[in-house]
Amino acid sequence: MTVRKFKLFLGPNIHKEEEWLTEMSKKGLHLKKYRLFNYFFEEDPEQSYVYQIDFRQEATKDYLQLYEDAGWEHVTNAMSIFHYFRKEASNTDVKKIYSDKNSIQDNYKRMLIFYLFIFFFFLISQLGIIVSWKGPWHDYLLVGGDIVIVVVYLYMFYILNKRINFFRNK
Amino acid sequence: MAKQPESFLPLSQATFYILLSLRAVRHGYGIMQDIEEISKGEVTMGPGTLYGALGKLEKQKVIEKAIVQQDNRRKYYQLTELGRAILQHEFIRLKSLVENSSELIKEVQQ
Repeated sequence: MTVRKFKLFLGPNIHKEEEWLTEMSKKGLHLKKYRLFNYFFEEDPEQSYVYQIDFRQEATKDYLQLYEDAGWEHVTNAMSIFHYFRKEASNTDVKKIYSDKNSIQDNYKRMLIFYLFIFFFFLISQLGIIVSWKGPWHDYLLVGGDIVIVVVYLYMFYILNKRINFFRNK
Repeated sequence: MAKQPESFLPLSQATFYILLSLRAVRHGYGIMQDIEEISKGEVTMGPGTLYGALGKLEKQKVIEKAIVQQDNRRKYYQLTELGRAILQHEFIRLKSLVENSSELIKEVQQ
């Protein structure tokens, strides 16, 4: 049986998302598919997996093969940049895809560059509103929407910065 | 100008083991297994950490892609001249550290 759950996680909070998915799996609900904040779980009380999420923009064949060789099953992805992997919880191998602070930090740094890039293009795309400002009501709506997006992005940069500092050596 | 091997030192424990495991041509998982073996289980590397490190080392031309015809799903790696030189330099550096301190360390009380 497939169970669908709607849940919002921001990119920088993948560690919380991983914990949640692993927790769900302990209860017998195992993530199989992700589509736009919708998590599709497969029910099996006999199983339990540990979930890990990797941020990687160019997931090549050899990248996926390496994870598979190391015992990580590629379950699904979000926008082809967030990759969901899992391993059976009973497996005695290491349950983390990142084994040192440096590489965890690199993962967040890649994410930061990606979001900065998107944020930059978002700002440029919205310049048109200001340039062609005539004051009708729908412009206020647009600006309101923009403010929400800007706040979300600033919050994500704040979290990413905190995560990067947390994993800074020394 | 080509980068000097000395400019890469000191290596992290992970990088040192990756380069050491490439004394033979290996793919990613082969490197992981070899590292676990040669470090006597002391170092186990996650695939994310290894993949990131390999990408960086390849960019710095410390390692390079090796052509292995029987397997087109995995990427194989080998040391470049620079990589070999870095490994040798780091070994000499570590060895002299241990040699220079092996007598003196006894004077340092626990």
